[in-house]
Amino acid sequence: MKVGFIGLGAMGRPMALHVHRAGHDLHVWARRPESAAGLPATFCATPAELGRRCEVVFTIITSSADVETVALGTNGLSEGMVPGSVLVDCSTIAPDAARHIAAKLAEKGIRMLDAPVSGGVQGAIDATLAIMAGGEVEVLERVRPLLECLGQRIVHIGPNGAGQVAKACNQMIMVAAIEAAAEALRLAAASGVDCAKVKQALAGGSAASRVLDVMGERMVKRDFAAGIEARLHHKDFGLVLEAARKSGVPVPLTATVAQQLNALMAQGWGRDDTASLLRVLELA
Amino acid sequence: MKIAFIGLGIMGRPMALNLLKGGHDVTVWARRAESMQPLLDAGAKGAGSPSEAAQGNELVISMVADAPDVAEVMCGVAQAAAPGLVAVDMSTIAPAAARQIGVDLAAAGVDFMDAPVSGGEVGAVAGTLSIMAGGSEAAFARAKPAFECMGKNIVHVGACGAGQVAKAANQILTGMGVLAVAEAFAFAAKNGVDRGKVREALLGGFASSRILENHGQRMLDRNFKPGFKSWMHEKDLNIVMQTAHELGLCLPGSAATAQMFNAMVGSGMGEEDSIAVLKLLERLSGQE
Repeated sequence: MKVGFIGLGAMGRPMALHVHRAGHDLHVWARRPESAAGLPATFCATPAELGRRCEVVFTIITSSADVETVALGTNGLSEGMVPGSVLVDCSTIAPDAARHIAAKLAEKGIRMLDAPVSGGVQGAIDATLAIMAGGEVEVLERVRPLLECLGQRIVHIGPNGAGQVAKACNQMIMVAAIEAAAEALRLAAASGVDCAKVKQALAGGSAASRVLDVMGERMVKRDFAAGIEARLHHKDFGLVLEAARKSGVPVPLTATVAQQLNALMAQGWGRDDTASLLRVLELA
Repeated sequence: MKIAFIGLGIMGRPMALNLLKGGHDVTVWARRAESMQPLLDAGAKGAGSPSEAAQGNELVISMVADAPDVAEVMCGVAQAAAPGLVAVDMSTIAPAAARQIGVDLAAAGVDFMDAPVSGGEVGAVAGTLSIMAGGSEAAFARAKPAFECMGKNIVHVGACGAGQVAKAANQILTGMGVLAVAEAFAFAAKNGVDRGKVREALLGGFASSRILENHGQRMLDRNFKPGFKSWMHEKDLNIVMQTAHELGLCLPGSAATAQMFNAMVGSGMGEEDSIAVLKLLERLSGQE
């Protein structure tokens, strides 16, 4: 199948390679052409050209505005994609934005899935991402073989936007857990107790979690080089709080964690790992 | 002075009336024509659009709901503006939005000033509002006679946007202040202590404040009529939290408070005064 890929960053690049390895004909477009260097793909001059050539297009880029520009803007995908082709947006954006883009594309007969992913760079490399899909079931079934190149857990959540809602829930739980791990390890250290031992002990009990495993390990080793850049979690928390506000749902813990992320950004640690929440606690 | 006044809601109507009382020549416009009638009865002239209202006036004042409304009104004003017109927006909007409107209007030769107010409907009627102005010295000098009809404590805070920054700071203090009084009252009640007596005692000490005095009394009276509606306080705190997010500013107390107001709006208390946060606390702690 002819498959397009836009967004060749830490996540997108390994995902595109998996699609290529599964025998598909890969097409790419990048704002900075050098980010496509070395990829076994046809480079397209614009998203519209890429859209014209492909049956399915993946996007995994940063913000709601970026996805909107690539999908609907001048020389955007909607100018090239033919009716019946599918856009699979794996970016994390606002549910409202996903619904809006899907509705605009539908006017031209183009189908869309919001399909944000969880699992981080390692999950992208290992093809073990969790994929949360919003859109029509038949569209999901059509692209399922492609999604299976990227991850094992593919869940249809509901109509367009539902995938992004699930991703927002994922971010709330995960980053709150990172903050909890940071606070626990900070308390252990301040009490003169060996953090590594505490983490080792907890791993066998009720508080065991993947976050404690992975992010706790980074905290113990004080390895703050990014796995996931904290600025992306900061961005996601803006989306979550906006969604909570629109629904009138109180999210007191999320709001508090968001303030710790604001402090992290103020320290200039946005491109470091979110394990840096530990360093924010150490400031006080 | 020849003044155009745009937006005649709970706040705008008494403010415009005070300009008339101060002897100014006032032209009004409001989206709903019936809102204009009380002003026309009091001697104001009516206009058919913001653009028409601005024509031939030295000063334009707007008092509307949110940033998109201000932008729309000011876009109309800019179309009719004579060079040197001063436009003052007294609504509460995000500082960044005010700065942008200032830049847009400067291109049309209009000197824009943000001048949000504090003091509520009572202050608007009595002409005792606090006015926090951001913009040029020249704009402030032009608007000052009008400000003096509407308010008492009038401060030129700084450049365009600075008035809205001061107003956001005001909403941080009043939001947390109302929540603090409500929590102190919930604490007293759960301990079986008379909150009225607690209020009376505290008014003599360091925790004394206008919020404890006025809002505290209304909590005791269980008078939850607005005043200042909680959905508007939620909107204002959202401006604070959005700005904090953009700047990388850690505001844990404001964040917690914003979520309480968010819960009020979500549970149908948005039209009640923000002191109804007391009822939310009571519900959470089983004190109903």
